[in-house]
Amino acid sequence: MSELLALPWHEARAEVSPREYLDACLDAIAARDGAIRAFLHVNRDAAGDGLPIAVKDNIVTTDMPTTCASRILSGFRSPFDATVISRLRAQNAAIVGKTNLDEFAMGSSTEHSAFGVTRNPWNLDCVAGGSSGGSAAAVAARMVPAALGSETGGSVRQPAALCGVVGVKPTYGRVSRYGLVAFASGLDQIGVVTKTVRESADVLGMIAGHDPMDSTSSTHPVDDYASELEEGVRGLRFGVVREAIEQLTGEVRENFDAALAVLRGAGAAVEEVSVPSISYAIAVYYIVANAEASANLSRFDGIRYGHRSSSARTLEDVYADSRAEGFGAEVKRRIMLGTFALSSGYYDAYYGRAQRVRARLRHDFSEAFRKFDFLLTPTTPEPAFPVGAKTGDPLSMYLSDIFTAPANLVGIPAIAVPSGFARNGLPLSLQIMAPHFAEKAMFRAAAAYERETQFWREKR
Amino acid sequence: MNIDREEARRIAELARLDLDDDALVRMAAEMTKILTYIDQLREVDVEGFEEHTAEATPLRDDEPRPSLDRSSAERNAPQWTGGFFVVPKVIGGE
Repeated sequence: MSELLALPWHEARAEVSPREYLDACLDAIAARDGAIRAFLHVNRDAAGDGLPIAVKDNIVTTDMPTTCASRILSGFRSPFDATVISRLRAQNAAIVGKTNLDEFAMGSSTEHSAFGVTRNPWNLDCVAGGSSGGSAAAVAARMVPAALGSETGGSVRQPAALCGVVGVKPTYGRVSRYGLVAFASGLDQIGVVTKTVRESADVLGMIAGHDPMDSTSSTHPVDDYASELEEGVRGLRFGVVREAIEQLTGEVRENFDAALAVLRGAGAAVEEVSVPSISYAIAVYYIVANAEASANLSRFDGIRYGHRSSSARTLEDVYADSRAEGFGAEVKRRIMLGTFALSSGYYDAYYGRAQRVRARLRHDFSEAFRKFDFLLTPTTPEPAFPVGAKTGDPLSMYLSDIFTAPANLVGIPAIAVPSGFARNGLPLSLQIMAPHFAEKAMFRAAAAYERETQFWREKR
Repeated sequence: MNIDREEARRIAELARLDLDDDALVRMAAEMTKILTYIDQLREVDVEGFEEHTAEATPLRDDEPRPSLDRSSAERNAPQWTGGFFVVPKVIGGE
């Protein structure tokens, strides 16, 4: 591997010309992606004197296809760029390719892609996580210094954790979603994957901010995220979520305890805190997210773009046959669950109830943030699992997101930082959650932990 | 919550998904398992917590702006004629 690509972007760009760095990325993709399959499309003509970056293939681009890893979007080419793409281009970024994902970002392993499984660079027999598995694997394998992903319930942080890289989910509304293909609009947010905390802070700074094209994007001022990375954590208060650590066993628990010791050693106050409703987050998530998905995915109807069934004879058939042929099994399952939760007779018991528990979850988090600057859990309950281990049991796959989904339901920012390795050599990860719009403080805390541990230097 | 094949069929019709009998049986079993897990929400005390409502969406002036031109829409359309998306006859069709 190119030693250049092992360096953080802000160090590498002082060493070589932008063209040399971009060529090193394209060479690394050519050399490594045959085994990993992080990319669905590579733009070998990518240009730009700035950051080379990969983009999850549910973010629309005019110069490359956008598939959402679904057959239903076969042949689709977006007539416009997503706002994050326009912003990156305006800052001379080179969009080097589109990365693999679970179809429509629905999954936790990138196995639910219509175009093949992305492999974990640390062990090719294991999953890269998901749904932004291609973005996480591309950065972990040092093919690009940064990638964009998207989050609805942990789809940036969970694959970042499983691939041993940094993953950031910003506050709901921090980044424009114009041109992000909608999954669950009350939860979706574009996030960032990089090797180091500093690079994540830099990339978020490039894409954050209000956008008139997305009325849910916030007008809250964008902070200089990299301005306090050296400040340390002395005196800062970290709450350890009791209900989460009660579920931990074995080496994940040991690894998490070691991370807490590092923070204490750096001068932070680390204490347990109860967030009683957090254990219900996955149940809430799979009602709320699927209900919204069932509505959002109604646009894939075989009429305006994408796949149309050749056997359809009536208008009703165009809808039902095109969708049956175009969507994969997991997407159908989620549309079915969401349609059920919103259907007459079940709305109050499922969707209504889930939204009330979500309100309680928001309340419990705001109570915890009265006493603590940050909340801590591991990012995932286990390291990367073997390909095929969970595809036959959707519920066990859903539980991969048990520690990440709460931040989406509450709308707060959260970051996954490499925290070492399991005995089988696979990466583990610490999650730091912060209050709404406290990204700058969150990066500061994550950078302090990273500085003490340096796990990012281990590479594949 | 138990979902049987007929309930799965009703939901599939609402969702505009054409699923055959085998697929409906599998789907019903998977939904039953997932909804049984979700049913733990019944035990949460939500007294005093109302349905979460999103933050108020800001309003903007309703000013005309250019939108997607027809040729861009045509490029992605499965069937297109004379500036229109084409679908099977809705009235008096086959």
